[in-house]
Amino acid sequence: MSSRDQTDEKLERLVSQVLRDQPLRHAPASLEARVMSQIAARSRLPWWRRGVAAWPAMVRVPVITGCAVCVPLVWVLSLWLMTRLAAATRARIAGPLATLQGTGHTLASLGALTAHIFQSIPRDWLLGGMIATATLYAVLFALVAVGYSLLYPRHEYSKVHLT
Amino acid sequence: MRAYQDMVFSTAVRLTSNPAQAEDISQEVFLRAYESFDNLRSSPKAGGWLKTVATNLTLNHLTRHRKRWRLFSEIFSDDTRDEELDSAAEVFDTVLAELEADERRARVEQALERLPDHQRIPLVLYHYEEMPYQDIADRLGISLAKVKTDILRGRVAMAGLLRQSDIGVPDDRRRPSSTQPGAQS
Repeated sequence: MSSRDQTDEKLERLVSQVLRDQPLRHAPASLEARVMSQIAARSRLPWWRRGVAAWPAMVRVPVITGCAVCVPLVWVLSLWLMTRLAAATRARIAGPLATLQGTGHTLASLGALTAHIFQSIPRDWLLGGMIATATLYAVLFALVAVGYSLLYPRHEYSKVHLT
Repeated sequence: MRAYQDMVFSTAVRLTSNPAQAEDISQEVFLRAYESFDNLRSSPKAGGWLKTVATNLTLNHLTRHRKRWRLFSEIFSDDTRDEELDSAAEVFDTVLAELEADERRARVEQALERLPDHQRIPLVLYHYEEMPYQDIADRLGISLAKVKTDILRGRVAMAGLLRQSDIGVPDDRRRPSSTQPGAQS
């Protein structure tokens, strides 16, 4: 070990010792009062302006369930709309006879389309679908987060005091 | 809260060197602790949890102002001379030992406050928070070599500040921390 390395190590050891011997800095006397004041102010807020964790269970459960159901619902509705659109297009091409087949044919097409998609979907497409689903979830949660930050006053503190 | 407020405030103020910002950050730490009160109330790890949250919130806050000090941090070369290292070690070894405990503590605290951000932050993370060099580099988004150089220079700069005669004066005679100039590396 070179002389410089030895000096370097010695300096590190000395600085560590000096800094760790330092007592804690005293917090300002106003800190406790500020925290208590904020807690009191938050407890006066209505439940819908607090964090999701503080919401009543009878509200929280339906909201979370609704969010979980939302994305599959979008997929099902999209498939249904696409099927209807395809059926409508076919009806225009095939003439009035196609319109007589009605809803039964549409439902059958939907079932066949769904089965076909799941049987023949390429791996890349499957991956793309998963990414799209994840993106939809991310967008959903981002919207919730934005709404939350607009309603919840803690973030106002960040803007006012820390910037 | 009383048991931990000094620890939380110390963590924040040593990283920011700004008591007003440190108080804001400490307030936020305790509000988050209140939200997790049921879990923390009987946990033996409450102190560690508070320290971690205080460190993370402070670093998040500092990151917002990162562009300001990153410029300085990116321009570097390890040009610290051997004599400077020897002289710095002597300050920490003998000069400080000759002082009364209270004056020594005040001088060290104030020298730390006067270091520029890019030296003080890694120095505090290394010596107070006991973070490894690589973790500091990852957290601050700078290279490992840069972290080591900044910490080394920080130690030398701190020794230089400790030699100055105007350091260690009472707080009410000092300039507000917001007007402190950054020391040059």
